[in-house]
Amino acid sequence: GSPPQALVDDTEDVSLDFGSEEELALRKAKIRHPLATFFHLFFRVSAIITYLFCDWFSNSFVACFVTILLLLSFDFWSVKNVTGRLLVGLHWWNQIDEDGKSHWVFEARRVPTRAASTEAEARIFWLGLIICPVIWTVFFFSTLFSLKLKWLALVIAGISLQTANLYGYIYCKLGGHKSTSRATSHFFVTADVPKSKYRVALPATALNRHVLTR
Amino acid sequence: FAGLADVSIAEDIPVEGEITIPVGSHSPDEDCSTLDEPVRDTIMRDLKAVGKKFVHVMYPKKSSALLRDWDLWGPLVLCVSLALMLQGGSADSKEDGGPQFAEVFVIIWFGAVVITLNSKLLGGTISFFQSLCVLGYCVLPLTVAMLVCRLVLLAGSGTVSFIIRLIVVVAMFGWSTLASTAFLADSQPPNRKALVVYPIFLFYFVISWMILTFTPQ
Repeated sequence: GSPPQALVDDTEDVSLDFGSEEELALRKAKIRHPLATFFHLFFRVSAIITYLFCDWFSNSFVACFVTILLLLSFDFWSVKNVTGRLLVGLHWWNQIDEDGKSHWVFEARRVPTRAASTEAEARIFWLGLIICPVIWTVFFFSTLFSLKLKWLALVIAGISLQTANLYGYIYCKLGGHKSTSRATSHFFVTADVPKSKYRVALPATALNRHVLTR
Repeated sequence: FAGLADVSIAEDIPVEGEITIPVGSHSPDEDCSTLDEPVRDTIMRDLKAVGKKFVHVMYPKKSSALLRDWDLWGPLVLCVSLALMLQGGSADSKEDGGPQFAEVFVIIWFGAVVITLNSKLLGGTISFFQSLCVLGYCVLPLTVAMLVCRLVLLAGSGTVSFIIRLIVVVAMFGWSTLASTAFLADSQPPNRKALVVYPIFLFYFVISWMILTFTPQ
């Protein structure tokens, strides 16, 4: 009879609204990747806090050293491989081709995907990326001048890892504006890439038509 | 395009040009699909790559695919475990072995960097991080030797234990050197192989020396 029909109609309406409501909420949210944002900051800030307060946590130099080193490594890996792609759509990596030549590739995503990043996320990403190497540089000088030299190796490791990410992402960001675009991403490859040249033959009619019709 | 409006070319003359495309463009395509892969897949992929390299060190066969996919996680883990096991092993350590831990770290990483620079200056074709990767992973046999030495020292520290430790360390030292030269020496021109192998020999010799002279408190 008619009540089951009405029920079917009701549930169909409800499911459609639910889908679009979810998308609307996603679009309105200031932070669309909460987990990535959290982890982007978590490892770096934990490393800095552990370094500053290591005397409170443990008496052992070795435990602090290993903990901070592991936090810095996890931070490097997650910022390079995960949070950069999710929060700002940038990615950089090293590629070695069959000849054994290595080149660095920098990619910037142009077409926004469904869950593209928001401005708040981008701001958090860049602030976290820039402020932490500065803090580690401050630690470098304070360690040097207070002659606590056993920490120097760790501070240098911290500076190198975080500056590498900073440099890589800045290169991605700048390179994306300069290079020629593909359909969905800019690819910006360093100069020592072996390029292959193709000779292209175009029939002149096609060229005429393209030029004249603006 | 107003200025080109009156350009006309005869229809049957082909127009030729040149387009330069970076050769490596095929793999960014497959990386585009990994751009949105879940994080767990990324982690598992990297873990499997690290595990494969450990296996390759134990059975060193020249494999160019292995060399291309470098990572520094293995060397980090090996360096940390070796440094942890070398704790408190010298006669004049006053604190909790702090300075020695950092010393082992610095020796391994600084030594690896110097060897890499040396091989690059000699005209090697291998890249900086690939070389670091190989040298770091080939510390695995020596880490195993350290483990064995510590176990042997638990049993006693007489002459017999010293002889056992000597044999184990020498064997593992030989294994490390052979494994790393299997990967690295091929990238050098033939008349320079000895110049490249000698620093590697020294590097693993210093680490073996630290392992052999380890005496617990």
